Amino acid sequence: MAQSSGAVAPGLSSFLASLKTTPVEPSIEHLISLLKRRQIRNSRPCAVATTALLLRVVGEFKGKNSAKLVDRIRQVGKRLTSAQPREVVVGNIVRRVLGLVREVVEENLDVDTTATSDVGQNAPHSDALHRPSLHSSISTFSPLKHAAAEPHEIASFPEEMSDSGELVKRPPLLSSHTSAAPMVNSLFGLFSQPDTPSTSNTPTGHQSPDSKAMLTSVNLERLADFSSSKFDMKAEVMDGIRELQDELDQSDDLMAAYALDHIHANEIVLTHTASTSVQKFLLAAARKRKFTVVHVETHPHDHHATHSALLTGKKRDGHEGEDEDAWKPLRLAGVRVVMIPDSHVFAIMSQVNKVILATHTVLANGALVAASGARMIASAAKAHRTPVVVVSGVYKLSPVYPFNTEELIECGDAGTVVPYEDGDFVDLVDVENPLYDYVPADLVDLYITNIGGHAPSYLYRIVADHYRTEDITL
Amino acid sequence: MSDAPGGGAVQAPATPPTQPSNDQNPQSNAKKSKPAPAEGEKKLSAAELKKQKQAEKQARRAAAKTSSDAPAIQKENPPKGGQKQQKDSKQAPKDDKSRPLPIRRRPSQSNVPTAKEVKKDKKDTRPTDLFFGHLYTQPRLHSTAGATKDVHPAILALGLQYSSYVICGSTARMVAMLLAFKAVIESYQTPVGTSLARHLTSHHLSPQIDYLRSCRSLSISMGNAIRWLKDLIIKIDPSTPEAEAKRDLLYEIDNFIRERVTMADQLIAETAVKKIEPGDVILTYASSSIVEQSLLRAHQNGVDFSVIVVDSKPLFEGKRLARNLAKHGLRVRYFLISGSAHAVKDATKVFLGAHAMMSNGRLYSRVGTALVSMLASSMSIPVIVLCESVKFTERVALDSIVTNEVAPADELLSEPERQALLPLKPKSEEGEEEGQDTKGVMKWIESAENLQILQVLYDVTPAEYINMVITEYGSLPPSSVPVVHRLSTNT
Repeated sequence: MAQSSGAVAPGLSSFLASLKTTPVEPSIEHLISLLKRRQIRNSRPCAVATTALLLRVVGEFKGKNSAKLVDRIRQVGKRLTSAQPREVVVGNIVRRVLGLVREVVEENLDVDTTATSDVGQNAPHSDALHRPSLHSSISTFSPLKHAAAEPHEIASFPEEMSDSGELVKRPPLLSSHTSAAPMVNSLFGLFSQPDTPSTSNTPTGHQSPDSKAMLTSVNLERLADFSSSKFDMKAEVMDGIRELQDELDQSDDLMAAYALDHIHANEIVLTHTASTSVQKFLLAAARKRKFTVVHVETHPHDHHATHSALLTGKKRDGHEGEDEDAWKPLRLAGVRVVMIPDSHVFAIMSQVNKVILATHTVLANGALVAASGARMIASAAKAHRTPVVVVSGVYKLSPVYPFNTEELIECGDAGTVVPYEDGDFVDLVDVENPLYDYVPADLVDLYITNIGGHAPSYLYRIVADHYRTEDITL
Repeated sequence: MSDAPGGGAVQAPATPPTQPSNDQNPQSNAKKSKPAPAEGEKKLSAAELKKQKQAEKQARRAAAKTSSDAPAIQKENPPKGGQKQQKDSKQAPKDDKSRPLPIRRRPSQSNVPTAKEVKKDKKDTRPTDLFFGHLYTQPRLHSTAGATKDVHPAILALGLQYSSYVICGSTARMVAMLLAFKAVIESYQTPVGTSLARHLTSHHLSPQIDYLRSCRSLSISMGNAIRWLKDLIIKIDPSTPEAEAKRDLLYEIDNFIRERVTMADQLIAETAVKKIEPGDVILTYASSSIVEQSLLRAHQNGVDFSVIVVDSKPLFEGKRLARNLAKHGLRVRYFLISGSAHAVKDATKVFLGAHAMMSNGRLYSRVGTALVSMLASSMSIPVIVLCESVKFTERVALDSIVTNEVAPADELLSEPERQALLPLKPKSEEGEEEGQDTKGVMKWIESAENLQILQVLYDVTPAEYINMVITEYGSLPPSSVPVVHRLSTNT
């Protein structure tokens, strides 16, 4: 396997370095093994690695068929997510890239269909054709059924490439519906989508004279390979992925720009873990204001990083390159920092004005999965009526709906809780070390992402903006 | 100066018993023409009392030398708040001859640590005055160096065990103290001219208590026990022969331990066992002897249940408990406090030990208890506190900030953690040979600007998180704590 020199521990930087020289397939394997061995951990490194890999996957992709490209990306995404399903960010990035491909194709389709806009008379037929398949394509897992009613989601051309698999599986169903009376169809739709919030939503898509909604199957068939002549799909997708990379780079700074809106002078802010996002957020506020940070050290797994971040502004913990994760420690920026052990949270909370949490993943229902300890911090804040603010990049926002919160929680090395020197103890007692906590949405007051501040109840909308419903189940 | 609020608060329970003895002082001192201080003294806190007693001694010497300026000074002192510097300056113009005296006395008195304390305070106020500034009084004593010669060897040893957490936990500390007091009383001999009842408390026991306090602040139960003991000593008829009085005292102390701790624990454990049902998952936080006793007893009774121990840095008391329970064959799971949300989810009942129960029904216990009980009560899991009535106090608390015990910050960073920070330490500043061990890391952290490591030992759990308090008087809601406290102190 193409790993860089022995001196560097395998991790994000070595992976990125090797990516340039290694062919795609070994690179995928490389990333999978890194994820499995937890040598790339936490959201940002995972996101960076996945984007870099997908950029390469798209770059190496041969052929012009967009459906095949979607399939290819999806297949790579499946392998990556099954390597480490709890790094939800990997899946997020894959979905973003899939959405990107669809968007690119769609835009060009637009141009194409407006040119051939005489297909209008086929509208009712296409409506009948597509409605059932739309429902099947929206994951039952997703809270996005409502959001999906947005016009562009209904733009139903991508059947061919998005759900080609599903389409292939279900042609008899579809054809039977199309051959049946339209009444049956609409009833079917009625039952399969009983909780559409406003009846106006579904019709808008269908009634709008948008050319996208009026595609015929004939048109779709043509589209599969129309790209060959018209545009360079690959280049546009790659540009889009590069934009995604930029977004990853800049999200911390963008979030930090909101810091002054949320931190006032002489405030006492409580935070935990050595999250880069939060540190940069606080640092941005520290440029203008004096305040106090109470830092919970997050003992069994992040305390080393916390200590060093507080002292030097460096996380020595992760395997990231030295280039990006060094910043001026808060204490040198004039912020008074008080470090407390995790057990002190309740005792100190009465003095705290605001809690700022870092997060691992944000889920579509407004809940978050964050470093363990976050739940008790958020609960203590609730008990003291202290507002809880979560700082998170949009890339951490996941369309996954947590039906079973347990399965999102990863358990870590018990040796960090009780050292293995305590042999008899480890023999006698079940030592557990959950790495993450599930924090329900009602404990959070505000999310700050790189696109602004949002109430937890609004997050589903942002999810809908960033992911295609077709991609929710990879 | 700065120790007045903190010290006063801790000592509050100890104050009243000393007063009667002081009230009697004037009688004995009457020959020395010092009737004045009695009224002023009553309002003083124990810390001030201590200083005043020193002043009294000085004044007595001064009175022996010169005529009778001293009482006048004494009269003035109490309202001034017992500040030494002030007093010295007050004395200076009035009585030149008494002025060198305090200086001369200092080395033998426990003034040495106080002098240090003032210095240390100045250094500490910079980073520490944020939350618990009022609690940073005196650095803990970790050696016998600062002790007065009056301190009994048994107490010296005990003090070191306190400061190093060898003896830890409210009940254990109280029992150990009472046992050490037995040794003190045994070796005590009443000086000629006084009686045991008058002399023992104020002149012999007080330095012992002061020393223990300088090692680690007294627990509520210790305060209660000291108060009880002082009360007992004062009630001794002065005509009782010394040997008999001492024997009675020793017997009473044994009796106290038996009644208030040993038997109480048994009763509590008996009640608590009834609360454990087959299939239960009992969650407990840190370590409490009474919880351990109850769980083991339930296990011996053949109840099939398992235990989750939640623990926290830096003391890891729960480790010992978990190990001990597991050795007896219980199924034990062990979490750290950051995983407590997961631990509580699996639990069916929460058993907690107490440092003290406040009169407003709040539980004062090891820091982190409040978090566990909050999570448990938010998931509708019953929270049961096991607490002997000797730990009940008439004091009240609303938050964990006003009353607490600050522990030295360096205890928080374990050796591996310091080791991990070692490579990050900037080398340029000081000599390399000096800064390359973990001590250098600690120094580096201490000198780090704007950074403070905070560690307290207790927190206050709101009464609404507590469903039941089991004492030797029975099971009650937290609101009944003051009633039981009155009941247990009046009998």
